Amino acid sequence: MKKILTIILVLLSSLTFAKINVVTTTTIIYDLVKNIGKDEVNIVYLCRGNQDPHFLEVLPSYMLKLRKADLVFKVGLGLEKWLPQLIDGSRNTDIKEIDLSKEIQKLEVPTKRLNASYGDIHPYGNPHYYLAPNQVKIMLTEILDALISEDPDKADYFTKNYEKYVKKLDSKIIDWKNKMKTAESKPVVFFHASWIYFSTEFNLNIKGYVEPKPGIPPSPSHNAKTIRLVKKLGIKLIVMENYYDDSAPNQIAEITGVKVLKVPVGIWGMEGINSYFDMMDYIVNNITANI
Amino acid sequence: MKFWLTIFSILFFYIQVKPQSNVNPNISLIGTFNTQTFLGKDVIDKGKLIFNSPELELFIDDYLNPYARGTVDISFEDGIFGVEELYVSIVRGLPLDIQIKAGKYLVGFGKLNQVHAHAWPFINRPLFHQIYFGSEGFNDIGFNFSFILPTESFYSSLDLGIFKGDAISKTEVADPDNSDMVNNWRGTNPIFVGRLVSFFTLSDYANIEVGLNASYGVHAKSENYIKPGFELGLADNTLNYFYGGLDFKYKYRPNQYTALTIQGGGLLNHRDALGIYTSTGFPPNILNQNSINTFGGYLYLDYAFKKQFSVGVKYDYTDGIIGDNPSFYSLSNDNQNHTQGISGWFGFYPVEHTLIFRLGVQHLSFTTKLGRIKKESETSITLKMIFSLGPHKAHPF
Repeated sequence: MKKILTIILVLLSSLTFAKINVVTTTTIIYDLVKNIGKDEVNIVYLCRGNQDPHFLEVLPSYMLKLRKADLVFKVGLGLEKWLPQLIDGSRNTDIKEIDLSKEIQKLEVPTKRLNASYGDIHPYGNPHYYLAPNQVKIMLTEILDALISEDPDKADYFTKNYEKYVKKLDSKIIDWKNKMKTAESKPVVFFHASWIYFSTEFNLNIKGYVEPKPGIPPSPSHNAKTIRLVKKLGIKLIVMENYYDDSAPNQIAEITGVKVLKVPVGIWGMEGINSYFDMMDYIVNNITANI
Repeated sequence: MKFWLTIFSILFFYIQVKPQSNVNPNISLIGTFNTQTFLGKDVIDKGKLIFNSPELELFIDDYLNPYARGTVDISFEDGIFGVEELYVSIVRGLPLDIQIKAGKYLVGFGKLNQVHAHAWPFINRPLFHQIYFGSEGFNDIGFNFSFILPTESFYSSLDLGIFKGDAISKTEVADPDNSDMVNNWRGTNPIFVGRLVSFFTLSDYANIEVGLNASYGVHAKSENYIKPGFELGLADNTLNYFYGGLDFKYKYRPNQYTALTIQGGGLLNHRDALGIYTSTGFPPNILNQNSINTFGGYLYLDYAFKKQFSVGVKYDYTDGIIGDNPSFYSLSNDNQNHTQGISGWFGFYPVEHTLIFRLGVQHLSFTTKLGRIKKESETSITLKMIFSLGPHKAHPF
């Protein structure tokens, strides 16, 4: 009798205290979910912080990660084109896809019929909103809703963690905005078209991109154009994600003297970058120091 | 009246088209064009530049409902349209998380066979594919049941399939002395295919996949041959085969611009073949069966660098002579002669994989036994251009 009671208690406790199994497509989302879910979520990510989330190889090991997941959080807006194949491969029928872009104020939404001559354009808008802290607040709300919906009993716990994180984020936003005032309206060149949300939030003046079209490798003729642009406007900084090849920006730098800044856009994308705050601190501090 | 008819027509058209546009399937087109030249002592048109007819593959693929996908691959080769693949995959919702694939498609025998040829880094199909499955690889009609195995720390799956067997019999057109059969009885004697595969993550940058393959069935039937020890009329007039295979793929990708791939695979063929013709007087044309064991395999290395370039080398070995006419004594039924191949390539990918240029060289040498006319070695040089239009999805690892 004692044995049966123990078994029932163990089963009940496993039901009551079961954690939510979460997979996130990127390390930034991982960090955000981890800060709200804390010990009540088992969480793994797919794309490493030093990998380009546009092109993740479809590996069976990722299918295994998704196999037991209750929730998968994604950036959306067509960034993770590889995700449906992985979910199919995982054979997980119960997994819920949470698209964090739902409530985002989308930028660069194409207004004309697209074709491949425009490069890798995302048809529903630019998906790199996670580089803008105020958009991250919207992501946090989505994450909170999804976790509560999955486990309503822990709503208070998740809400408390959420509020604590948002409070810290708000104070960091003030700090970052203050720092970025020195960079306001200053012209800057980026490597890839992933900085529109960041630039809008911090009033940076995007003057061009090293890529001729989004996702299209730099060409000699486009490099020449960029060189002319940098010289003409006295641009001091090229900012690029650290997983891109820096040979074209370095060529431009050699001729014009512009500074090439390689930044992490993922957690653990560089040594010492262990949180979203670390990542944004690095980006803000280095842009303000070099612009 | 005309006015209302027009309004009705517009509304009707809108209602019909609007929902459809939201569920349009993915449509992709792969175009291939290649120019070749052949060199060698016995080669016809030696050194002549051959402009092969362009080929295309049209892929239509999408979910049919929340549980299943449908895929069609229509090909145009040598001026003929054909259905390369047409299948349904039930991807979720079945007990034990089984996935079922039904229709005509590239069979999961070996890693390479499941990947469309345009996605290979090299130009020439491995020689043993040509010998044991035919020039299009192991493409067959049937059902496949796929199970994920409960190995927690690494991914492992088991596939079991039942197929018509067309790809196996393609290499034997007919009994040389009796040109009726082969495919007439197909369907009553299906073949079986199994694949066990495990995927291991070695580090953040390196992975390896290892597969074991097997296929068993009847590859030919006739009234005109007999197993030793049987009396005519009581004979088991079937020729059976067993293919055992092993394959692996290792990839090291330190960043998105560089990747080193080493991949290999082999096939052991154990089959009933026809032996020496025995004249028995009456009835005539009795052929003896015997068992043969043959082998074929490949190993390649491909190094992709600067995102836009790749170089590689491949070694091939197979029993049987490439280019032989299909018969009960050649290709997969040939344990007397063999072919070796060495090839190298250079690939250029200007923008991702939307456009590919590939220059390749393949040298084939043949070893023939006494009694057969010696076949001289030959070299082919190929320049291939592939373009990809539309959202054709990436092939998995």
